[in-house]
Amino acid sequence: MNAVKDLILKMADDSLIIGHRSSEWTGLGPILEEDIAFSSMAQDKIGHALALYGILHEQFGELEADQLAFNRKESKFRCCHFAELPIGEYDFSLMRHFLFDHAEAIRYEMLSSSSFAPLAQLARKIKGEIKYHVLHANSWILRLGRGTEESRHRMQSSLNFCMPYALGIFEKNEAESDLITEGIFAGEEHLRILWEEQIWKQIDQAGLQFPNVPEKKVHMGGRSGRHTVHLHMLLEELSQVFRMEQGVEW
Amino acid sequence: MYGGGYIFSEPTQKEQDDHLDDPVMLAAFEARIGQGEKIEPQDWMPYEYRRQLIRLIEQHAHSEVMGALPEGAWITRAPGFRRKLALIAKVQDEIGHGQLLYNAAETLGKPREAMINDLLSGKSKYSNVFNYPAKTWADVTVIGFLIDAAAIVNQVANSKGSYGPYCRALERICYEESFHIKQGYDAFVALALGSASQRQMLQQALNRWWQPIMHFFGPADKNSVHSEQLMRWKVKMASNDAMRQQFLDSYVPKIWELNLTLPDPYLKKNLESGKWEFTEPDWEEFYKVINGDGPCNAERLATRKYAEEHGHWVRQALINSRQQFAIPLA
Amino acid sequence: MKTKSPIVDPRIIRLDLEKSASFNHLGDMEVWGTYEVFHQKKRGDQHIHAGVVHAPDPEMALVFAKEQYGRRLKCANLWVVKTSDIYSIGYENEDMFETVPEKIYREAGGYKLREKISQYKKSITSVNIKERETL
Repeated sequence: MNAVKDLILKMADDSLIIGHRSSEWTGLGPILEEDIAFSSMAQDKIGHALALYGILHEQFGELEADQLAFNRKESKFRCCHFAELPIGEYDFSLMRHFLFDHAEAIRYEMLSSSSFAPLAQLARKIKGEIKYHVLHANSWILRLGRGTEESRHRMQSSLNFCMPYALGIFEKNEAESDLITEGIFAGEEHLRILWEEQIWKQIDQAGLQFPNVPEKKVHMGGRSGRHTVHLHMLLEELSQVFRMEQGVEW
Repeated sequence: MYGGGYIFSEPTQKEQDDHLDDPVMLAAFEARIGQGEKIEPQDWMPYEYRRQLIRLIEQHAHSEVMGALPEGAWITRAPGFRRKLALIAKVQDEIGHGQLLYNAAETLGKPREAMINDLLSGKSKYSNVFNYPAKTWADVTVIGFLIDAAAIVNQVANSKGSYGPYCRALERICYEESFHIKQGYDAFVALALGSASQRQMLQQALNRWWQPIMHFFGPADKNSVHSEQLMRWKVKMASNDAMRQQFLDSYVPKIWELNLTLPDPYLKKNLESGKWEFTEPDWEEFYKVINGDGPCNAERLATRKYAEEHGHWVRQALINSRQQFAIPLA
Repeated sequence: MKTKSPIVDPRIIRLDLEKSASFNHLGDMEVWGTYEVFHQKKRGDQHIHAGVVHAPDPEMALVFAKEQYGRRLKCANLWVVKTSDIYSIGYENEDMFETVPEKIYREAGGYKLREKISQYKKSITSVNIKERETL
């Protein structure tokens, strides 16, 4: 059962950290309408994390969601480096959102027929939310890729910068083969193939070039608890109030 | 969120002379308002009605957008899932309210770009209360509970005004504010009933915010420029004093019942008159902050400029040369 | 930038506010044109005007409207229409809608049949009685 716990934990941590990052744009977005949309997706992601920690608590006796998210050592986090990076400029945030959410969409689609019922149920429940995230991301990438010289250049640079990190999403867990044989999850490699196919179409339509990334340049380590310096600072901030006093209601 | 008071500017004599309204149209307009009918964007309206409404709604919109900043300061630090999600949703709503209100103001003919430009240049104001810092998590609960409560008093009054698009926007805004005040109250009470240090943090925040809250509805009626015309036109719906009294009546007991104190030894309800008595807040400070010299004016404006500048290339990339400004219908 | 009170928002501390200090102007149409949003609460209901979004094109208007008007309202469907594509009768012609009271032939209440039928039924009964008497 460790393999499925690992899977849920890394998904939860990815969602929490990316949702937290997205919420840094709330009130600072490029136009009010987009500010609202991006805040909704931040809430959705944090909500997915809450649901996934909930599964760990209910099915595997782990601590409650608040404790897992707000009171856990950095080395116990399993998020990918991609999620940890600061929000940067809007081009980076949109590109990360695009690359990450396509992977999310395929991952949950695969999980909707998982033999592990709680994951399959969750996957079906949040299908609509994820569909919107992908629509939102595609709409922006297409338009900015084909917008002005500046926007095209920004999107291409962000894509080039993001890709080595994005591929780190698919870092495998040790016991992944168990997940595949038990029909829980078809594996990161399979996910990556589908993902590349899907984003390639969008990138091409947006008039952008698909960057070539040698495997050794891919940012790995998040899934085994080795993180960027950014995660440390983020967790300090995230848990600042929560850890001021334990065992009280906030 | 928005307060009353200090919204309206008296027209200059020249402005009055330059824009004399047709007396027949004016009489029909006033009769319509007298019958409780709403004014719609395409209607004829007096120059001064349009001018003051743009000013009112625009400042309200700016206040929502700037109001996202003090609370936004705690989005990344909100303790626990429940508070974090509620706070993001709340700040998001404030941005949403700004969006609705800019639309309502645009129906009067001023494009959103022009309103944002007037905000950035300092020409157009926003509520003073957002020029104070939210120093601790407890400050967020005080804002969420009491500033939102004060805003509801004002907005409910305004939602019965005469201008259709503003009323419609306020109807939705008030509905969402009722969630804001609930979540604010919930977080406020959690601290009030919590540990000694949580209570202390809350009491200190309350002390810090009391004066800005008392300023919120604007100067006493006897000291403010009182426009009978704006009341008759149902642009200004309630007097500053009446709104402040209503707020004190509803919320001071809710603070006192938690054994929290307010930093005004003279605050009490006069049982004979039924009115609240209090120490006059420092109105010099109020005018100082309005004129740009509050603790956070510079930071708030700089932050807004940052957001607008960093969004510029995004907006620019999608400008459609075939689009032209059209006044929104409703 | 001179701030009188230290910045408390870690998100803002990370930004270089100084650099944007001179930015103070949005160009014409920089926040794009407007689309009117119509919202259908549930299947079978009418679409009702909900408000406006600024957007560069209809697809983006839908992407934005979904969150601004669909995140709190229960929603089965949304329409967007470019503001300038809507035609309306001006309020100055509101008097055209006034119905004169004589037009009762257009109202359900203008047709009072029950009385007639009752009278008819009464007359039938009296005829029957007369017929029996003659037998």
